[in-house]
Amino acid sequence: MTVTMRFPDRGERSLADLLAQLTADPDGKPLAVGDPRIRDFLAEVAGRLLAPKMARRYPELASLGFFLRRAEVDRMARRLIGEDPLVIRVPRGLVFHVPPANVDTVFVYSWALSALAGNRNVVRISSRAAGAAEAILDVLAESVAQADPVVAHTQLMITYGRDDEVTAALSAACDLRVIWGGDRSVTELRRHPLAPLARDVVFPDRSSFALLGVSGWRRASDAQRRAAVDGFANDVYWFDQAACSSPRALYLVGPPGDAEGVLDEFRGLLAEAVRRRGWTVDAAMAVEKRVRLYGAAADGHVTDLEFAGNELAWLRLADPTQPPRGWLGAGVVPVARVDSLADVAKVIQRRGQTVSDFGFALDELREFIAAVGGRGIDRVVPFGQALSFAPVWDGYDLLTEFTRATTLRG
Amino acid sequence: MAGILDVPDVFSLAQSEKEKRLLPELVELTARHRAACPPYDRILATLGVPKNARYQSVAELPWLPVRMFKTHTLKSIPDAEVFKVLTSSGTTGEPSRIYLDRQAAAAQSSALARTMRSVLGPHRLPMLIVDTRAIFKDRRSFSARGAGVLGMMSYGRDHVWALDEQGQPDVAAIEEFLARHGDAPFLIFGFTFMVWLHLYEVARERRFDLSNGVLVHSGGWKKLADRAVDPAEFRREFADATGLKRIHNFYGMVEQIGTVYLEGPSGGYLYCPDFADVIVRDPETWQEQPPGVPGLIEVVSTLPTSYPGHVLLTEDLGVVHGIDDGDWPGKRFTVLGRLPRAEARGCSDAYGGAA
Repeated sequence: MTVTMRFPDRGERSLADLLAQLTADPDGKPLAVGDPRIRDFLAEVAGRLLAPKMARRYPELASLGFFLRRAEVDRMARRLIGEDPLVIRVPRGLVFHVPPANVDTVFVYSWALSALAGNRNVVRISSRAAGAAEAILDVLAESVAQADPVVAHTQLMITYGRDDEVTAALSAACDLRVIWGGDRSVTELRRHPLAPLARDVVFPDRSSFALLGVSGWRRASDAQRRAAVDGFANDVYWFDQAACSSPRALYLVGPPGDAEGVLDEFRGLLAEAVRRRGWTVDAAMAVEKRVRLYGAAADGHVTDLEFAGNELAWLRLADPTQPPRGWLGAGVVPVARVDSLADVAKVIQRRGQTVSDFGFALDELREFIAAVGGRGIDRVVPFGQALSFAPVWDGYDLLTEFTRATTLRG
Repeated sequence: MAGILDVPDVFSLAQSEKEKRLLPELVELTARHRAACPPYDRILATLGVPKNARYQSVAELPWLPVRMFKTHTLKSIPDAEVFKVLTSSGTTGEPSRIYLDRQAAAAQSSALARTMRSVLGPHRLPMLIVDTRAIFKDRRSFSARGAGVLGMMSYGRDHVWALDEQGQPDVAAIEEFLARHGDAPFLIFGFTFMVWLHLYEVARERRFDLSNGVLVHSGGWKKLADRAVDPAEFRREFADATGLKRIHNFYGMVEQIGTVYLEGPSGGYLYCPDFADVIVRDPETWQEQPPGVPGLIEVVSTLPTSYPGHVLLTEDLGVVHGIDDGDWPGKRFTVLGRLPRAEARGCSDAYGGAA
């Protein structure tokens, strides 16, 4: 039984050997919460990700680099260690991460936070990982040369086929299992028991959407409107609109007459932004979109379907309470108009995750969250930040999840 | 005695004449399917296509992506009139489901027969099938490969399987077939890859005389390209090694059952029967490409009367090389390969596919 090593070295490794390394404490000092040896390593990685050459090639790695920069990591470490001298955060131990196959950078966020929390980590990297994911693995490999040997000893990334035996062994050995990748992977992974003291952090299928306040838009300056549309374009086109936090529908909130004018302007600006950024979709994606959008039309979910080139499709939802369930392809904006945020709140389901918004006051959004009443919605962010990773994700404060609290005299 | 370069009755129309005949029939089919197939009507209505739209050319007609028949039930006949449901599983996912009434079923089989007669002649020929009878036993492979073989079997007689149950060449059976039928015209049928891998090799080694054969074959060249065999080489090798010169590749799909695009006698190019046509589209602008420029193949046919499959955008890439300048009139084209499937990159894609 072997696995393919991706970090810190390359090559085949026996499962037994891997488990022996993962369950043994390193020589010398074990990792602590916010361990300086890990912080140094993350800072080194961040520097390399932010290098102009890398950032040009993979813009998403620049956001990752920004997330891992020393000041940010130090801030997270301080927050994690906490101020209460009688509550001491300690690492969980061994964390097994199963990131999604196709979102190139999620594995790094998940792993980096867990490493910062002082855990030993084993990350399953998809064999399909390419492009940005490969670039990250190269950066990690370059950075580990300068790092304390504890990093190479405790942080492992591996690839293996659909091999239940490896999954079962890692599940049995770990103290915490982190499952990304939607309902199917959660269900599949849960077949493999954990040790009694261990637990799961799971990220099942979610859906996200955008809110555009009609009166807020009308009050905004030209520059603010353009910035908002640019942000929305980012939210839509990153990860081919297939991430769980990618907006799958746009709700215009306001009276019908005003809303149509705002939508026209929004559409014009969005087409311009897409053109300016040079986003394109290839022929395969263009066909995929047609198949899915014609399908939505055949099912009666859509009243208007308009293609602004292959890159961008607009559709009008027949019923605002029935947003599209699945992915419709990259660059698809289903639109519905509603009178108020209260109308949107009614359609939120448990799987609702990210709401990105423009044109609302904080108080209006607070009221909206209260109206949803906990049925869904984990985060409300401005246009442009739907895909920005945050240490609180899907309602989990990951750094807290990745540690335990030991109380002193408590 | 007809020479092989004579124009057969189903490959007879020059391009302008063909379009003049096809256009009103296809417009009428569009209206008919809109009236009888609500999901189809919803698609066109959503796209803003008026019910009484006027069309100047076949290329203006709205098309459906062929994969719609995998994701949706699209038929223009009441359940009670469904005579036959054809299914084909591609390599992945759901099968297409094609609904025929009695009339559509009869029309497709007679159209196919006329098309085949143009290269096989009016009589059924003894038939060597380059496949194994085991395909009828495995229910899973039956739908695709078995149906193809079964469909062709009606154009032959005295059928002999060239492969044994393990899929290996049955040399004794082939030899016996040739001894009995080899001195008069006979039909050879199989999938391109199997014909090359299993028949060609054996025929060359054993110096079989296939000079009276007519080979009809179908299936992509992708597997053969890996072995550096292209269509020209395929023909040359067969002619040199076995004397087999009458070779016709064909292109077709279950979503337009009965419509078969056939390779002309001099080889290398496919032609459209009189009741069908191809339009090669630019996948960026969706406009028709001029001859010589590759794009996505749209297939049009007047046969689909019981389901809205008369104008379909395939996921095959192809190129029209010329018009009214080949063995037969109309468009002369080749299929270049398949468009890859777009892959969702989402968080919810996942573990299952990670291997």
